[in-house]
Amino acid sequence: MSAVQTEPATLSEEPPVSLWRDAWYRLKRNRLAIFGLCVIVLLAFTAIFGPYLTPYDFLGQDLEARNQAPSFAHLFGTDDLGRDVFSRVVYGTRTAFLVAVVVTAIALVIGTVLGAVAGFFGNPFDRVIMWLTDVTMSVPNLLLVVVINASLKTPIAQWMEARYLETLNPFYRETVWIDFLLVFGSMALISWPPYARLVRAQVLSIRSRPYITAAQALGLSNRIILTRYVIPNALGPLIVAVSAGLGTAMVLESAFSFLGVGVNPPTPSWGNMISDGLRVWQHYPHLLAAPAAVLGLASVAFSFLGDGLNDALNPRGSK
Amino acid sequence: MLRYIATRFVIWVPSVLLVMMAVYALAFYGAGDPIKLIFLRAPGDVAYNPERIEAIRESAGLNKPFIEQFGYYIWNLLQGDFGNSLSSGRSVWAMVKAAAPVSFKLALCSIVLTALVAIPLGMIAALNQNRRLDYIILGSALFLWAIPAYVAGPLLMVGLIVLLPGVNVPYGWGGVFDIRILLPLIVLSFQPIALIIRQTRAAVIEVLSEDFVRTARAKGVPEIVVALKHILRPVLTPVVTQLGLIMITIVNGAIFVELVFGLPGLGRLTVKALTNSDYPVILAITLIGSFLVMISNLLVDILYPLLDPRAADARRSR
Amino acid sequence: MTGTKTENRLLDVKGLTVEIETRSGPAVIVDGIDLHVDRGETLGVVGESGCGKSLTMLSLMRLLPNKIHVAKGEAHFDGRDLQKMSNRELRKVRGGDIGFVFQDPMTSLNPVMRIGEQLAEPLIYHRGMSKKEARARAVELLRLVGIPGPEQRIEAYPHELSGGMRQRVMIAIGLACEPKLLIADEPTTALDVTIQAQIVDLVKGLREKLGMSVVWITHDLALIAGLVDRVIVLYAGTVVEDAPVDELYAHPRHPYTRGLLASIPKLSDQPASRLNSIGGTPPEPGRRPQGCPFAPRCPLAMDICRTHVPKLEPVAAAGSHRTACFAAEKAREAA
Repeated sequence: MSAVQTEPATLSEEPPVSLWRDAWYRLKRNRLAIFGLCVIVLLAFTAIFGPYLTPYDFLGQDLEARNQAPSFAHLFGTDDLGRDVFSRVVYGTRTAFLVAVVVTAIALVIGTVLGAVAGFFGNPFDRVIMWLTDVTMSVPNLLLVVVINASLKTPIAQWMEARYLETLNPFYRETVWIDFLLVFGSMALISWPPYARLVRAQVLSIRSRPYITAAQALGLSNRIILTRYVIPNALGPLIVAVSAGLGTAMVLESAFSFLGVGVNPPTPSWGNMISDGLRVWQHYPHLLAAPAAVLGLASVAFSFLGDGLNDALNPRGSK
Repeated sequence: MLRYIATRFVIWVPSVLLVMMAVYALAFYGAGDPIKLIFLRAPGDVAYNPERIEAIRESAGLNKPFIEQFGYYIWNLLQGDFGNSLSSGRSVWAMVKAAAPVSFKLALCSIVLTALVAIPLGMIAALNQNRRLDYIILGSALFLWAIPAYVAGPLLMVGLIVLLPGVNVPYGWGGVFDIRILLPLIVLSFQPIALIIRQTRAAVIEVLSEDFVRTARAKGVPEIVVALKHILRPVLTPVVTQLGLIMITIVNGAIFVELVFGLPGLGRLTVKALTNSDYPVILAITLIGSFLVMISNLLVDILYPLLDPRAADARRSR
Repeated sequence: MTGTKTENRLLDVKGLTVEIETRSGPAVIVDGIDLHVDRGETLGVVGESGCGKSLTMLSLMRLLPNKIHVAKGEAHFDGRDLQKMSNRELRKVRGGDIGFVFQDPMTSLNPVMRIGEQLAEPLIYHRGMSKKEARARAVELLRLVGIPGPEQRIEAYPHELSGGMRQRVMIAIGLACEPKLLIADEPTTALDVTIQAQIVDLVKGLREKLGMSVVWITHDLALIAGLVDRVIVLYAGTVVEDAPVDELYAHPRHPYTRGLLASIPKLSDQPASRLNSIGGTPPEPGRRPQGCPFAPRCPLAMDICRTHVPKLEPVAAAGSHRTACFAAEKAREAA
């Protein structure tokens, strides 16, 4: 212990760890968040590989076996066309993840660009962009998306039809893509404001924070300041927002499909399966329960993980 | 104060105009010909008479350019004329007037229920931070937050039928004091309650570490008074600012809740209008929804200085 | 002045140990402190920030923040052990028999309550006064602590007062029920230098008027020279020196105390001369060295200092002067 005399005391109680190791440590101790993470990983795996592994085709009809209750042959039973509900739920997972990931990615890009522009260049960009986020956020967003979806579907379908007649390219007959295109576009259109606000706030506050000034005063290069200080500090809140955004997008997608303006049958989506199930739930509750339960599980998992990430990455805010 | 409210209103007008113009444009370019829509729903020998359609189009001013039509619509709106529904031909204002009270009453009850349930629960969770009770409340809140209304509603109904076979499923509307309001009200309040529980908990935890709470304890103030007087009041300020967000959640949720439980409110009107591409109705509902959110945010701004004297001073000096 | 008769003891703390929960288990912050305050006595508690001064006093009233708790020890106040009291009994002592003045009056006063209401609370809960009586008394108290126009100020919110005025309000709250003991936790740290002296003078005058004991926590030895009767010096959660104030200034025995005294700049110093400071920083909780906690920073450290913990023992002749240092004699010679 005699060496203590010359050794300056370090600032933490334990060997210093990096921000991410520290965050991972905190996350690991949060049981709900780990549960959420496991569910999400499982669902993601299902979304990617599931459709190849299911025993039935999600469109395969078996009119001999309609509206069957769950059994070993059909884990979640069958629907009114004799389709295997389990296979459809599995394919619905792919739909849900596809929409969630693409929408969040588009929204993130739009939001980051607009937020950074607003933060870096200031007025008049700042004022206009912030006004747009305010407007978008102050309208009941569901309404807006539904309106966009409902009204653009017909013209786009007509356009595709016309292109097909002109070119005879079979691509233009794939109407499934219209659904996805509309869902992606309209949802991204209402999902970007939180990211824009976040990025703008980060840019503004980080630029003026004492530790950046301190780092500049120490003569660190801009690159080091950017990679060591700015990005890690901005990334935390963004990761939290993205994990929450993925969950929200997933729920929104099924909401639109539920209302009949999102992904339409026969492509399975949890939302349109719930909507179908709702019509016959008195007789065949499993048709409602299976997709509803999976949607609930996925949404809860994202909510748990998002909350855990928030606690882990923004330690000051939580405790 | 009046002047302040007026200023806020003036700021709100261009944003809502932008939204309405967007919706109007969608209707104008996307929905197809409104006249054809009318006739498609009223088939008969006049349905496909092109001359007749042209005549009506002419008289209704529907062959004018977009801006002119939109301006005409706004002009009528300013005079209280929301136009007529394309599907039923009834005045949109009459339809909205019939449906709005149902939704407003439900929303108001939901806000009251949320305040009564969520604020105490959030406080209890925070005061038991990181103990079992906290985890249970917080976990339930996350759970409620994640369950969409169109999942919770049906599942609750299925559950009720299975558990209580003799009971009639509460379906329909009979006013605020009718038993049937319970289930939709609870489902509609799930998300707001979850939101406010988490907000309250976070705010209480922050206030708990404040020095003035320690001062209150050092003065020998009883714990219950510390909680209700010293902690609750500063907590209310950040919680009340969530009212706008709650309004959005409720407006969104009402669409599904009214659909699932068969309530004759604005939510169901919305869905009907959407499936019929009934744009005058959709525009009116967008306007009302946006107005509600604006009013909530305005209310927050008025309440804020009453709850926090520092904010009152800041505003006066501005 | 510093009689050792037990009936004269108002506060008697024995072996108080406070721990903080860390990831690697509990770490000691306050390490078996003994201290006492006699009736009518004013005690200064001195040490660098983070040495456990405030935590010691907060732990007496069980006002410790989360994750910090009293591991062992007794604290007898007026013959009763504060640590064993029920919450109900303790509540009567808090604000009633023991008044508290905190460091930062900005954060220690509730921002959304009028100061009159905050002042009235101890009167209502300890003296059973009605709101009206408490209000009248609050005006008197504000006048007592030298706030001009107390009838109007009572309606003010904390943010409407200056820092010095706020701290006067804090003191009025601490004094509201005429406590037997007033604990002032660095009450002047957040204030301007000119206001600091005013506050010290105010407490000095009130102490005589009300005949109470005072514990004044500070890191500023110079400030309290004219105020306190006796000083204890804390380092890393242990008492390293305990002496009457004049004796301490004249003959500091512990090298840490000497360091503290030497670091006060004097007018006689050459403008260009370097300020004296103590090298290094106090040990982190949980990383305390074996032996004397000050040894790593001590200019007089010997081998024994790094292996054994010195006990607080009377310095040869002067019976009331105690220090915990193996090199105390050497320190005296050096002085």
